[in-house]
Amino acid sequence: MSALVRLGAAACVAVVQVLLVAGGGLLLLGVMRKTRSRCEGRVGPPVRQPLLDVVKLVSKQRIRPAAASPVFVAGPVVVAATAVLVTAVAPLVTSDPPLARSTDFFAVVLVLLLGSVSLALAALDTATPFGGMGASRATTIGALTEPALLAVVLALSVPARTSNLPALVREGIVDPRVVASPGRILALCAFLVVIVAETGRLPVDNPQTHLELTMIHEAMVLEYSGPDLALVTVGESARLALLLGIFVNLAVPWGVAPGRGAAELAVGSAVLVAKVAIAGIAIATFEVFTAKLRLFRLPEVLAGAFVLALLGVASTLVTR
Amino acid sequence: MSGPSFATALELGAGAVLVCAVLTMWRRSLAAIVRLLALQGVALAAVALVLGLHARDGVLVGVGAVVVVEKGVALPAVLLRVVARDTSSRETAPLVNVPASLVATGALTLLAFAVAGPVVALVPTVAGRLVPLGLATALIGIFAMAVRRRAVSQIVGLLLLDNGIALVAFLATGGFPLVVELGASLDVLLLVVVARVLGTRLHERFGVLDLDELRELHD
Amino acid sequence: MAGAVLLAVLGAPLAASACAVLCPWRRAVGWLGVAATVVVLAGGVVLAARVVHGPAVTALGGALRVDALGAVMIVVVALVGTLACIASVRYLDGEVGAGHCSRRHAALYGALVQVFLAAMLLAVSAANLAMTWVAIEATTIATTFLVGHRGTRRAVEASWKYVAICSVGIATAFLGTVLVDLAALHAGHGPHASANLDWTALVAESPRLDPGVMRLAFALVVLGYETKVGLAPMHSWLPDAHSQAPAPVSALMSGVLLAVAFYAVLRFKAVADGALGPGFSRALLVAVGLLSLAVAASLLVAQRDYKRMLAYSSIEHMGLVALGAAAGTPLAIAAVLLHIVGHGLTKAVLFLGSGEILATEKTSEIGQVRALLARRPGVGGLMGVGLFALLGLPPFSLFVSELGMIRAEVDVGLGWAAGIALALMAVVFAALTSHGRQMLLGPLAAGERPTRTPRIVVVPLATALVACALLGVVAWPLAPLLESAAKTVAR
Repeated sequence: MSALVRLGAAACVAVVQVLLVAGGGLLLLGVMRKTRSRCEGRVGPPVRQPLLDVVKLVSKQRIRPAAASPVFVAGPVVVAATAVLVTAVAPLVTSDPPLARSTDFFAVVLVLLLGSVSLALAALDTATPFGGMGASRATTIGALTEPALLAVVLALSVPARTSNLPALVREGIVDPRVVASPGRILALCAFLVVIVAETGRLPVDNPQTHLELTMIHEAMVLEYSGPDLALVTVGESARLALLLGIFVNLAVPWGVAPGRGAAELAVGSAVLVAKVAIAGIAIATFEVFTAKLRLFRLPEVLAGAFVLALLGVASTLVTR
Repeated sequence: MSGPSFATALELGAGAVLVCAVLTMWRRSLAAIVRLLALQGVALAAVALVLGLHARDGVLVGVGAVVVVEKGVALPAVLLRVVARDTSSRETAPLVNVPASLVATGALTLLAFAVAGPVVALVPTVAGRLVPLGLATALIGIFAMAVRRRAVSQIVGLLLLDNGIALVAFLATGGFPLVVELGASLDVLLLVVVARVLGTRLHERFGVLDLDELRELHD
Repeated sequence: MAGAVLLAVLGAPLAASACAVLCPWRRAVGWLGVAATVVVLAGGVVLAARVVHGPAVTALGGALRVDALGAVMIVVVALVGTLACIASVRYLDGEVGAGHCSRRHAALYGALVQVFLAAMLLAVSAANLAMTWVAIEATTIATTFLVGHRGTRRAVEASWKYVAICSVGIATAFLGTVLVDLAALHAGHGPHASANLDWTALVAESPRLDPGVMRLAFALVVLGYETKVGLAPMHSWLPDAHSQAPAPVSALMSGVLLAVAFYAVLRFKAVADGALGPGFSRALLVAVGLLSLAVAASLLVAQRDYKRMLAYSSIEHMGLVALGAAAGTPLAIAAVLLHIVGHGLTKAVLFLGSGEILATEKTSEIGQVRALLARRPGVGGLMGVGLFALLGLPPFSLFVSELGMIRAEVDVGLGWAAGIALALMAVVFAALTSHGRQMLLGPLAAGERPTRTPRIVVVPLATALVACALLGVVAWPLAPLLESAAKTVAR
């Protein structure tokens, strides 16, 4: 009986988190675009525009290239599925998500990587020049972000003596000094750079461009249409919301629900939405003042992130 | 200051000194590099103040005040005036490119941890454990002097080295007697003024502040 | 009373410097500088007489402390300083007369030379090793402008390299000093921060210093100060700076600045040997000594510039001194100090002579200068005799000191190092002889008449060479002082 209740509560948490991240991710995109527009003195599209776009795309006809193989079909599904899977078990609304004991930071990184890889493969699948170019650039960036991300995980988990993500969040709530420790700060700075690179924001990639010389992510999804494109958009925005959610919960862990009660979940959801919205607005404001970097300058930024994370690891050796 | 918050404050201050050093290798704009140096000076002074307040050591607090004025304000101001006069104020072509030098700074940090082993073993306090950070800053300073080609960024490298050594001195020994501190500060200040004047002369004679032009003397 | 003498020794150059700043250049100010160095010399002799068999002289509540080693160094600084200041008068007269530099610029030179001398004197008379560091750093600042005094592109380039490389070196030495302080702090007598780097106290408790930290500290100190000493691999500034600086400044830098920096190494070595035993410092010094000899020998062979040639010869001699210090016995240290005295005098003579040649021949290329003995017998003869002295031929004191160092090295089992050093010295000997022959020998061109060299040049330099020969033959009056100095840092 109590096992059933626990299962129900866990399922409930998972559903809340997935809905919040999938729907909220699209709204986050809207908020970021709105911020940008306002900063540039334009009115801009309404915040719910990305949501409306997705609804419109779902109702449209699906067109796939004649040469497409199952890899092409699987791409969007894998991107969305990995994002949903991680969202369901990540400590976003509550620090006691379903399967909390198995939510390892390394596993989270690897599952999300699976989504990126499948999208790159799908882009190669149709053998169009743009797809290949986008995939090549995305993998270059990915190859540079992964070591940094792993160093970040290392820096966060060495002092806590665990790489369990909910435990890392809880540790911050229990002992605020952990959040202020140099190792954590350095690692989170690096994590932020990695998030910006992984989700294709400025200055790494311009999500609004369709200029062939500069686009990276858009080049990969150029061949998708209708429901497929909707799935890709949802999956990618969910990734952004998910990564930002993990980031804010590690940086500012207060307000994360300790358990799975309804009231706790409601408060936790509200706090999460507020924190992620603030982070999104901050990133969008930063983007207004930033130009896209040349591709050859990207290694500098990402090497910087790697070194910051490495310093984080080193400083955990100092502070124990 | 109580135990845990003292340790956290000290860690943050020493960490900030090292991070500023790493960031100077990241940035290319000379003005940004000099501003990072100023920030590092303030962080260094904070370390001295925290240590001084913890040990109730008036001299060390005084040294912290001197450091703020000297390294946080005076030296960066002198350097910024040079940068403002220079027409192309960017580090254009360092001998080692930025990603590689960032990786090198990471390696130097690890080297500092390895070398500082005996020191850490001798001083089993919070401050003692942070000594490798100062050593790493010093090594990064030497590295910056070796690979950077602009006169200003070489001076910055020298000051990084000096700040790193000062951090080691504060953390390991609680600073030198005031006379020596003042002498050392005066020396560094004069050195930068000398370097600035020389930089101006280089600018007059060679037209640029790029040290690659200095190749008349060799065997 | 002796304390007052010590204060006078430090104060005289500072007073002369203040005078030079206050009034624009004229010859009287230059002679005032010479007077200051003579005061220093007299004071140094008085101090030496006091400390040779007695206790060290202290002043300013123990902040200044001169023992026999310090007294030897004060005397060397004063001797070379006197020669350089006399030559400075003539150099500045020429520059101002030819319109190469303004009277204010000349005044700056006069002031900085005196500050430079005062800084070196402070370095060798400070009781605290950190104060020694501050003073040696101050020499860098004072000499940077002196190196670039001529204001040509090359001079500015040389002074930039000088200040950049030496600052890194001196900063490294500071790091080493900090670590020595740390080791002293934890040697078990509690935090008396002010007394930690007092040299006598450090030596007294050196067996209790932490060996791990001392090893790191001494390596950093040697690496740092060897930059100022001009030992390989940190020597690259030296040929540039010595060749571009005005001749009197080159003489001061080569003759005594290198030695003052080496003095600091000797002091630290005494502490490190107490903590680690002689093996560590010996290995380190043998390595840098042999490397310096090799660098100097290889670059001397094809050298085309006579001032650079003299600079590389300084690197060679500092390498020899490092080898001698590596042996570390009282005999070796006495020989090292005698070598420092002899090298200071000889190198000053040669640099001042080469300045005279540069002023008259307008070139520093070896190939462009010929038949000096016939054309300018005065300065040519001085250069010839000076080269003989520099090569370590009897009766000059360098012969005696080199012999002493080699004997000491063989005594402590460093015969192999002495063998390598002798082979490299043979290369240097051949190179210097051949370059010297090119410059000095040859007939007068048709219709050419020998030119007289002014007495103001010849008399001081000849005196210095006679003193050098006298030291070589009878070691008088330095022998007891050198013995007593050697005993302070070696056992």
